[in-house]
Amino acid sequence: MSSTATPSSGESRPRKLEQTNPDYDPNIVVEAQNLSKIYRDFWGRQKVRALRSLDLEIRKGEVFGLLGPNGSGKSTTIKLLLGLLFPTSGRALIFGKDATEVRKNERIGYLPEESYLYRFLTAEETLDFYGRLFDMPPKLRKERAAELIEKVGLTWAKRRQLREYSKGMVRRIGLAQALINDPDLVLLDEPTSGLDPLGTREMKDMILELKAQGKTILMCSHLLADVEDVCDRIAILYQGELKELGRVDSLLQVSDETQVRFKGLPESAHAELRAIIAKHGGEVLSLENPRTSLEDLFLTIVRESQQRPGHRSQGARSSG
Amino acid sequence: MVVENFENFFAWLPSALWTFVLAGGPAVLLIIILGYLVAAFRHGPAEAFYVVAQVLFGFIPDLFGTSVRRVFAIAKLSVKEALRRKVVLVTFAVFAIALLFGGWFMNAGVDNPDRTYVNFVLWGTQLLILFMGMLLSAFSLPDDIKNKTIHTVVTKPVRSTEIVLGRILGFVALGTALLALMGLLSFLFVWRSLSHTHQLVGSQDMAAMTEIDPNTRESFRGGRVSENAILQGRTTGDSGHFHSVELIEDVRLPGAPEPENQANIVSKKVLPDGKTVYERLIVNPASGHTHQVTLDKNADGSVSRIRLGPAAGYFRARVPVYAENLSFFDSDGSKNQSGINVGREWSYRGYVDGGNLVRPDSLAKAELTFEGITPNRFDNPEQLVVEMTLSVFRTYKANIEKRVIGSIQFESVPEDPNTTPIFRSEVSLFETEEYNVQTIPVPRKLVGKQFAPDGTILKEGEFDLFTDFAGDEKHRLKLLLRCEDRNQYLGLAKGDIYFRASDDLYWRNFIKGYLGIWCQLLVVVTMGVAFSTFLSAPVAMILSVVVILFGFISGFVRNLAQPDVSGGGPIESFWRLITQKNMEIDLEPGLQRTLMEQADTLLVNMLYYLTYLAPDFQRLNFSQYLTYGYAVDGNRLAVALCISIGFCLWVSILGYFCLKTREIAK
Repeated sequence: MSSTATPSSGESRPRKLEQTNPDYDPNIVVEAQNLSKIYRDFWGRQKVRALRSLDLEIRKGEVFGLLGPNGSGKSTTIKLLLGLLFPTSGRALIFGKDATEVRKNERIGYLPEESYLYRFLTAEETLDFYGRLFDMPPKLRKERAAELIEKVGLTWAKRRQLREYSKGMVRRIGLAQALINDPDLVLLDEPTSGLDPLGTREMKDMILELKAQGKTILMCSHLLADVEDVCDRIAILYQGELKELGRVDSLLQVSDETQVRFKGLPESAHAELRAIIAKHGGEVLSLENPRTSLEDLFLTIVRESQQRPGHRSQGARSSG
Repeated sequence: MVVENFENFFAWLPSALWTFVLAGGPAVLLIIILGYLVAAFRHGPAEAFYVVAQVLFGFIPDLFGTSVRRVFAIAKLSVKEALRRKVVLVTFAVFAIALLFGGWFMNAGVDNPDRTYVNFVLWGTQLLILFMGMLLSAFSLPDDIKNKTIHTVVTKPVRSTEIVLGRILGFVALGTALLALMGLLSFLFVWRSLSHTHQLVGSQDMAAMTEIDPNTRESFRGGRVSENAILQGRTTGDSGHFHSVELIEDVRLPGAPEPENQANIVSKKVLPDGKTVYERLIVNPASGHTHQVTLDKNADGSVSRIRLGPAAGYFRARVPVYAENLSFFDSDGSKNQSGINVGREWSYRGYVDGGNLVRPDSLAKAELTFEGITPNRFDNPEQLVVEMTLSVFRTYKANIEKRVIGSIQFESVPEDPNTTPIFRSEVSLFETEEYNVQTIPVPRKLVGKQFAPDGTILKEGEFDLFTDFAGDEKHRLKLLLRCEDRNQYLGLAKGDIYFRASDDLYWRNFIKGYLGIWCQLLVVVTMGVAFSTFLSAPVAMILSVVVILFGFISGFVRNLAQPDVSGGGPIESFWRLITQKNMEIDLEPGLQRTLMEQADTLLVNMLYYLTYLAPDFQRLNFSQYLTYGYAVDGNRLAVALCISIGFCLWVSILGYFCLKTREIAK
């Protein structure tokens, strides 16, 4: 899963009319070459430079995260890759085809930031509609819709119009529509936005499940924990420029520190440990009982409550 | 009602296609140049060429890759959207309220109330359906883009052709269903509102009838209506009117057929000379209709009860057989291209004069040549009907209630004037009924003469209209119209006189009329969808309205764009304005004048062809036909469909390119 990607400062203009890359490598699913986007006003004057010369490759089977604060160019990148925006310069290729090529969409699933769906449709109608857009035959459409509704846990509300749905429910059906065609590449724009912790975890589990099925996933988020949990590689954008790119584990690894975790060690052993560390010239930064994350705590409580309704959670007492 | 166009669809099509190419070609070229300039501004002049080529050639795979299933999906979505947002419901509710209470404000007692009712429902339907179509189509895509729901559509393998087509088809399908429902309700409304019957005033038998004074003058204002009436009565006043009822003596020659309607015969007597006298009870027309009389009889043959049937004559779909050719002749008998100009601004009609003191026997006449006059085209070939809407121009007022007298005469059209004899009927006089459709019965057996080519009379007597007068290969027949009042003029155009062939079925004609509205709906929806691919919803609506208005006045603009308009074209007119030279003054010859004239020719030609870019809405509107009870013939319908589909095709392609080349996200 190695890849080459370098932040480029060059402004050279590649051939724009080339629809397919003659050097297409089937292992490279997404490719951005010197991709730039400038938003202009009606008179053609520059308003915002949203993306600067982005070079990027995403390989097959990868979960790739685009990270960055608001306005850093994450959504612009995704929109350029989907052909919703046209690049000012450079080019975006999906499966070796130009991003404006319609046929590339046959293998793509896209979950937009706000689940822009038709609120007057029911869940069933929504999936049937998007299934038709993939030219799926009626039987397959029906089966796939039922399967996905089941998967996102909305069977009980499948005949309700989306206008009656909560934000989380809309997000789930949004994910279902993104998967209706069993895509090879899934683009997720802020996938956990609007979801409760349980939904967030389910979303993350689903991403990992998709990865296990060999699908390539490109997600953008400003929630660092989400990205850290599921992504193989990340790119960090800031003000339209690529600032960092690499594997999550290598980027987060602090090579000059060592972490040791024990269970059942008495308090008296702490002094002994400190002495050993000092003997080898190390400095103790912290020696304490580890804390679980709030997310883990919340999930434990909810799951226990689901298993034993009416009882106070054990997890809450033991952790508190 | 003025019917101006007499086009045969297949005669019209080639010239229409050519005009379409002449108007559409430069427009397409202009759009491509505009697209190139925009692309050049964004990408540079060299790359712009490739960008434009890529977009243009991209149309072919998009067109052939269009999937019916995807188009249907988007069409279905559009229908659901309109239904669930209750736009259709509101439109229908407004229409239903209009029908429920509209009857309060209309009077069925006026002359031809069917016109008022049909006009009301047609205008109501047209207004509502077009407004709904415009609203739905102009707001659909902009709303989709604004709400970003289109992001989840265009990121599927959906082509711009499918989005534009799907939206158009969806709204048109919905509009069609609503139009059909509104049409059905309109039909029922008109039928229910006008259906009525009457009873006789007094007893419901012959005792209700009183004798007519034999000296009563035959007049609509006086007692009797029919010359041969012997008893008269009156009906009750229902639906704001009443009818006079008369017992008439219908005398028939030996061997003549019996009256078609036997239900209203009171008695039948055979006279010693062999003639048969039928005493028939009739209801005279009022408010544009009459009622069928049915008699119940006792065993001895006397009338026990008089029953009047429902209103008859309201729902007509007259099929006119128009003249193929109209020629005018001056008072000295010389041929005149357009008749006498009486000074009216609207030069649609030509006039024939009735002579004057200097030349009392005017030879002025209008000669209409009809073709295809065969018995199978008429319900009753024994008695044909000629209907006329003549204009009268009076040079003196005299007795204003006295009508101007005109005459008609029939003549055969000889195959070879040097060898073939001519049949010429006797002159038949009539009083003109201005502002109304006037009906003149023409018997099949016409009294007249047969003339040899040298003018000698070969034979006198009764001749058959079909076999003698219209006996040539093409079944041609001439109708000669003259004005018989001195110093008065009768005006007519080709569409003003026609033979009335068998009526079309009213419901079928009603559907044809609604097909005209459907064509308008198609045009409006297509414009709404196409314009909203590059404009915001309100601006797209305004542009649609502008195109519709332009379509209505395109004929007028085309007249302005004639090369022989006095005062010259726009540049010359402007020059005259600032140099204070009126239209009659010739400009000095020279380079300046030549340049102005050349530039004007170019502008006028451009303006002329520009008028063809908007659909001619007059030709899509059949309301007048329905209102005045004329059948919409297939040629006109085919022309309307062709205009609508042709226009929609180009506008849809424009919409496709605009959607294809715009950034969906912002």
